[in-house]
Amino acid sequence: MKNWWKALAIVLIFYTLIMGFLGDVVRLPILNETIRALYFHVTMWFAMIILMGAALVLSIRYLSTEKLDFDLKANEAAKTGLLLAFIGLLTGMIWARFTWGAFWVNDPKLNGTAVTILIYLAYFVLRSSIDDPKKRARLAAVYNIFAFVMMIVFIGILPRLTDSLHPGNGGNPAFGKYDMDNNMRMVFYPAVVGWTLIGVWITQLRIRYKKLAQNHE
Amino acid sequence: MPRQIWNIVKLNFKLEWRLKQSYFAVALYTLISAYLSYLVFNGSVSSVVWNNLFWLILVFASVQVSFRSFQLEAERRFLLYFGLIPPQVLILGKTLYNFLYVLLVGEFTALIFSFLFGNEIHDFWAFQTILILASLGFASILSFTAGIASKASDNPALPAILSVPLLFPQLITLSKLSKEAITGFSWELNAPFLIVLALLSLISILLSYLLFTYLWRD
Repeated sequence: MKNWWKALAIVLIFYTLIMGFLGDVVRLPILNETIRALYFHVTMWFAMIILMGAALVLSIRYLSTEKLDFDLKANEAAKTGLLLAFIGLLTGMIWARFTWGAFWVNDPKLNGTAVTILIYLAYFVLRSSIDDPKKRARLAAVYNIFAFVMMIVFIGILPRLTDSLHPGNGGNPAFGKYDMDNNMRMVFYPAVVGWTLIGVWITQLRIRYKKLAQNHE
Repeated sequence: MPRQIWNIVKLNFKLEWRLKQSYFAVALYTLISAYLSYLVFNGSVSSVVWNNLFWLILVFASVQVSFRSFQLEAERRFLLYFGLIPPQVLILGKTLYNFLYVLLVGEFTALIFSFLFGNEIHDFWAFQTILILASLGFASILSFTAGIASKASDNPALPAILSVPLLFPQLITLSKLSKEAITGFSWELNAPFLIVLALLSLISILLSYLLFTYLWRD
C-alpha cells in the first residue's frame, strides 16, 4: 500500500466537498454562506505555499548536488503551485464579488497575490529563455530562491503594516478568532491536507510524464 | 575585502566613463520620460501624481542602469574576475556602484520633476532619506537580477520581467512613505516603514551575497 496517500487525498477531497457545501457554518453578517470559501480559497494558498516551499527546497538541493533531477522536480512543483495560485485567486475573486462588491480591489493581500503570480511567471520566462539545461537549472534555482524569500516577505510582513480589507487584517475577523468554530476547523485542516496531497499527486504525475518524454527523445 | 569592493566600483566607473554616451543615455532616458509625463498631464500634476510618477520613472531608469553594468562587461572579463576575486566581492562591488548610480539618477529625476512640475517636496531630508533607502533597495535587487538576466539570454525584456515584480514590496512602501515626505513627514510614525525598507535591502544583499557564487560557476 504505497499509494495510501492518494486514497487519503481522494477521501479528504470528497469530505471537503460534501462537508464544505452541506456542513454547518457560522452565521455572520455580510459573509453569510460565502464563509464556505474558506475551505476552497484559504486552503488553496496553504497548499500553494507548501508546494512553492517544496520547489525552494528542491532548488537548494539542485545547487548543492547539481543533479538535473532536482531541477525537473522544482520546476514541476512550481508549476503546480502556480496552478493552485490561480485557483486561489479565482475563488478569492468570486468571494470578493459577493462580500466586497468587486472582483478586484487595491488591497495588500491582493497585491501579494499578484506579485506571487508575476514572480513565478517570470521564473518560467527565465527558464524558457535558456537552452543549456545545466545553465537553465542553475539560474532558475538561484532565481527561485531569491524570489521565494522576497515573496514571503511581501505576503507575510507587508500586509501587517498596512490596513487591509481582507479577513485577518486591520481588525477584520479571520479564522481562528471567532468566525471559525470547531465544526469548521474539522473541515478546514483536512481540506488543507487534501489539496496539498492532490497538488503533490499532480506534480508527481507531471514529473513522471516529463521523464518519459525525455527518455523518448 | 572593502578595498577590493571599492576597486570594483572604481573599475565600473572607469569602464562606463570611457563610454560617455552611456551616462548621457540614462540622463536622456529620464529626461524623455519626465517630459513625456509633462506632456501627457498637460504640465501640471497633483503632489500625489508627482510622487507616483517619480517612482515609476525611477524604477525603469534603474532597471536600465543596473542591467548596463553587466551588459558592458566583455564576456572574457568575467573569466579574469573569476581568477582574481571571490564572486561575493564582484556582486557587492556592483551593488555599491549601482547604488551610487541609482541615487544619482534619483536626484537628477527629482531635479527635472521640480523644474517641470514645481517643487512638491516639503520635507527635504525625509525625501533624501527615502531616496537613499530606495536606491539601496533597487540596487541590491536589480544588480542580482541583472546578473541572472545577462547570463540568460539577449532577451531585452528579461531584466524588467525578472526584477520589477520583486520590487513591488519596496515600491508600495516607498510611494506611501514619500507621499508623506511631500505632504508632511512624521519620523516617529514612519519609522517602522523605514526599518522595513532597510531590512528588505539587507535581505536582498544577503541573498545575492550567498547566491552569486552559483551564478558564476560556468
